[in-house]
Amino acid sequence: MLLEVLTAVFNLQITLFIILGVFTGICIGSLPGLTATMGVALVLPLTFGMDAIPGILLLIGVYVGAIYGGSISAILLRTPGTPAAAATVLDGYEFSKRGESGRALGISTVSSFIGGVVSVIALWLISPQLAKLALRFSAPEFFLLAVFGLSIIASISGNSLAKGVLCGALGISLSFIGIDSITGYPRFVFNNVNLLSGMSFIPVMIGLFAMSQAFTTIETIFTPDQVTQKITKVWPTRSDWKVILRQAPISGVIGTFIGIVPGAGAEIGAFVSYGQAKRTSRYPELFGTGIPDGISAPEAGNNGVTGGALIPMLTMGVPGDAVAAILIGALTVQGLQPGPLLFTEHTTLVYSIFLGMFIANIAMLVLGLSSLKLFVKVLSVPKSILTPMIFVLCVVGSYAINTNFFDVGVMLVFGVLGYFMQKADISVSPAVLGLILGPMAESNFRRALLMSEGSYSIFFDSPIAWIFVILTLFTLLGPTIGEQIKKRRQA
Amino acid sequence: MKKANFIVSGLFAAFALVVIFIAKGYPPSNHGVPGPGMFPILIASLILISSVILFIFTLRMPQRTDDTIDLKSRSIINVYVTMAGLILYIAVLPLIGFVTSTSIMLILYMKWFSKRPLWKCVLISVLFTVGIFLLFGNVLNVPIRFGLLI
Repeated sequence: MLLEVLTAVFNLQITLFIILGVFTGICIGSLPGLTATMGVALVLPLTFGMDAIPGILLLIGVYVGAIYGGSISAILLRTPGTPAAAATVLDGYEFSKRGESGRALGISTVSSFIGGVVSVIALWLISPQLAKLALRFSAPEFFLLAVFGLSIIASISGNSLAKGVLCGALGISLSFIGIDSITGYPRFVFNNVNLLSGMSFIPVMIGLFAMSQAFTTIETIFTPDQVTQKITKVWPTRSDWKVILRQAPISGVIGTFIGIVPGAGAEIGAFVSYGQAKRTSRYPELFGTGIPDGISAPEAGNNGVTGGALIPMLTMGVPGDAVAAILIGALTVQGLQPGPLLFTEHTTLVYSIFLGMFIANIAMLVLGLSSLKLFVKVLSVPKSILTPMIFVLCVVGSYAINTNFFDVGVMLVFGVLGYFMQKADISVSPAVLGLILGPMAESNFRRALLMSEGSYSIFFDSPIAWIFVILTLFTLLGPTIGEQIKKRRQA
Repeated sequence: MKKANFIVSGLFAAFALVVIFIAKGYPPSNHGVPGPGMFPILIASLILISSVILFIFTLRMPQRTDDTIDLKSRSIINVYVTMAGLILYIAVLPLIGFVTSTSIMLILYMKWFSKRPLWKCVLISVLFTVGIFLLFGNVLNVPIRFGLLI
């Protein structure tokens, strides 16, 4: 098996795809307004005609590169290229103000690499064990796992839980469209043949994440971003190395565990890592003034999420973040179903993903340290050229999946909807979580009741089921209880 | 934001009622196993409850914490015009063909968004469109050749 994996990945074509993916990802991530999710959604259609391993590794390359690339504009322009780099702005831009942007970018590159490698190691160690455990799951456990995943909506809803629930429920509602998997009854198809096979998942994602973001860019299309910084001395100094080696592995671990939590993305990983670094620092008052710790922690944290997010995705079919949700779509297009069986039936693919992700991190380090000047030039590409091109990629991408214009219409509808949802301060991530986990919850709920002939006690029969029930309750009630305790202490 | 919240809760509540109305007509549960309408009704009820909660919370929201949503400024009007242009583009795309309609769409948007000379906009648009056409049509085997022209 090891030989098969090595042959599959250490192949010139696949290595080139990974490097190309990382390069594209860094370019996309470095451009403000283009997120990692958008990048992966835009590149996804290119993988439809590829084999599974090169296709998935190309997307993983984009993912790894884009999460890192966001730090480039965060440091140089004080504008995070991706939301994941928002925490990097706090200290990163202070370096640029002092004329040390090269140093800041060097710290960011090495820290991102360490965070990414830590997450790949965790992915490698945890996933097979979790998959073994998941093999023992049956319908009730999968239903409760999906409910646990959906309960995460509570923590990713932004300012309003009600809006998050509305958005998540909208995503679940979309999954009802099409022929019912248990009874074969057509639901919400309105005599439209295009809806019989259900709402195509990828056009919805491209619309919500790429098209809506492009619409948002139009608002500022006439205000150009200027890069005036010169990049020098990228290689970290000896004192910076000390900070990086102390901070990045810890933040990488934090990011990885945040990535494992379904729905929690790289931005949360970055902020939690930044907060932890500040709390445990001997000089917390210096955070925000431009210190290496303030770049190393969030950058290792957000790249740590990349591997972590793939753990629940590969082992249980539950996305760790929005990008992992798109990767589920990519695997499904290839005829592969993410979940524990992937580890027994497609072992080579799974371990190729692990090894490929490691190579992607190396490619990110090498490209980051050697070609930063080139990526800074990418920042000068005018939005006035880029945004219309994104429109075309969204249209072609949504058309390519089924070669159907109906999907293009779906993409545009969700692009417009996503734009107005952003305006109304509604996060679109819960909709994606609902769209993926909704069918998993419904089909397993009904299958479980079929198994038990209608008895609801089947959901509480196994210890694993109880673990999910407790985790769900903790996720839903934890923040409220914590707030109450805090209030009482203050009183 | 208050007005937006009221609109959001109203729209979602209406959506939930439609879902419940349709799902009520689906086959009933069989031997304790829920029918195809059970989950849609459950989720629609959740939407209805959340809409009511959002409505009540918005009603109680203090005026000073309220911030307005910009939906009428010049920059937002640009977004609406862009959306309208894209709807038109997607409508004519299957009729005219990918290369022609996409090139025209790109030229118009690029010229509008920047003060670049027309020839540059034309060059970039045509090169990009042909590149995408060749990549998807020839390399990735996506049938992209349709419409009256190409």
